[in-house]
Amino acid sequence: MSEGLKPAHNPRVGLGKLGLILYPLPLIVFLIVWHVLTNDSPDRQFTFSSPRQVIEAFVRLASSGELLKNTEVTVLEAVSGFLMGTITGATIGLSFWYSKTVAKIAHPYITALATIPIFSLAPVIIAWFGIGLWSKIMLAFLSTVAVAIVQSYQGAMSVEPRFLKFMHVAGATRSQIFKMVVIPSALIWVINAMRLNIGLALLGAFIGEFISAEEGLGYMINKASGVFDMATVFVGVIALIFVALALTAIIDQLERRLLKWRV
Amino acid sequence: MENAVLNIAGLSYGYIRHTLAQSSLTIRDLALNVKEGEIVCILGASGCGKSTLLNLIAGLLQPTSGEIHVTSYGDNHRRIGYIFQQDALLPWRTVEANVMIASELWQDISEEEARGLVRQYLQTFNLNESILKQYPAALSGGMRQRVSIIQSLMFNPKLFLLDEPFSALDFFTKLKLESEFYQLVKEKNKAAIMVTHDIEEAVVMADRVLLMSQDGTFTKEFIIDLGEGNRSPESARGTTRFAEYYRDIWAELKAVIGNE
Repeated sequence: MSEGLKPAHNPRVGLGKLGLILYPLPLIVFLIVWHVLTNDSPDRQFTFSSPRQVIEAFVRLASSGELLKNTEVTVLEAVSGFLMGTITGATIGLSFWYSKTVAKIAHPYITALATIPIFSLAPVIIAWFGIGLWSKIMLAFLSTVAVAIVQSYQGAMSVEPRFLKFMHVAGATRSQIFKMVVIPSALIWVINAMRLNIGLALLGAFIGEFISAEEGLGYMINKASGVFDMATVFVGVIALIFVALALTAIIDQLERRLLKWRV
Repeated sequence: MENAVLNIAGLSYGYIRHTLAQSSLTIRDLALNVKEGEIVCILGASGCGKSTLLNLIAGLLQPTSGEIHVTSYGDNHRRIGYIFQQDALLPWRTVEANVMIASELWQDISEEEARGLVRQYLQTFNLNESILKQYPAALSGGMRQRVSIIQSLMFNPKLFLLDEPFSALDFFTKLKLESEFYQLVKEKNKAAIMVTHDIEEAVVMADRVLLMSQDGTFTKEFIIDLGEGNRSPESARGTTRFAEYYRDIWAELKAVIGNE
């Protein structure tokens, strides 16, 4: 390579060794500022807690098993709702490819479902399904199903016309085209839906727990905020972040396996 | 017609209104016969209906009037190999899975027979067997188009439809592919209709060149006879007749386009 030329930037390539410093830098700066502002001020600690108090709360909740138990419940609710919502939504969205008329009729209903604030549905769902696990799963399901339908339908309708043309000329039936072209082609959209739905499923489960529950991270955060235990609230929020990151990492792995043909 | 692979009679496509003058037709009362071992090239301005004609023959569009008869092997399949400017290799399938689509869809030959055919075609098109495990994204444009032809060949078509198949390739790859495809049609006694903008390509590949005007009719036919018995598209470019055909077709094409 001639002098002065730099390789084109590839967003997939990390920052290398520099990344070891640069990636945690904003977090470290944030923790230092938080610590400095709250260290000698009980008033500020009451309102904002402090990194030290959060660590202490984490150790307490982790050693008592309370954190793990609540995290498990939230993960179970969110993942169950996520799987139900994504599988149901993807199945409906992809099968709309068979009939544009059905897709058109369904469109306003799906838009309505997608735009309803899930918080407004929570009291109804809790009344129907009780304060146990199922109401949270249903809220996570309702939060995710519309996104999965819309994304999958978009994917099914975005198939390269020349692929469809080739299959028609080849004498493929509609179900063969659906299986061999539409589903694999739309997979990238389904995975995008999964990525969006992780956050939405957690939100659905969290809202359910926040309104009425006896366990889960939402319940733990709600109970702690009621007694101004901000350290426990932050532990709950951090646990939610880690759950979301772990689930996103699983989707990344799935994407790498399913879309390995992308060079 | 003896050994005819394709017969088209009175073919029209478009919107028919009360009178013919009011009708908006892309294809107008076309007739075309193509026989075994023959390559027919269609030249014309953009939007004159060349690709529409191919889509009609392929069964992707229904004619407004007229008849299209494609000779088959006695089964219900139309057996057409359609090769596009941009290949139709499914990117999520390996090259092997792409070329095996025919046997997967029709299951008319055993998997072992199909693999044998693939190996044979890979040799014909100078491709290494190692590419079978690769995904299309890892192949060059020329390799992709070769695989695309093999993909179509696996359907054992009598008739090939080619819509500017080599226009996206570099000159040398284009020369090679033209020769390989030409040999294939002649040796296997297939037939081909090729739509192109390239007069040079039309002259060296075709047995007949048809000029299509904007009103969807053939205005002129050139029978191409480059003189030698064992010609190839590459050697044909060096003949004196090639230059004459090129000049005549270009003059005619200018007149057709100029009148529109």
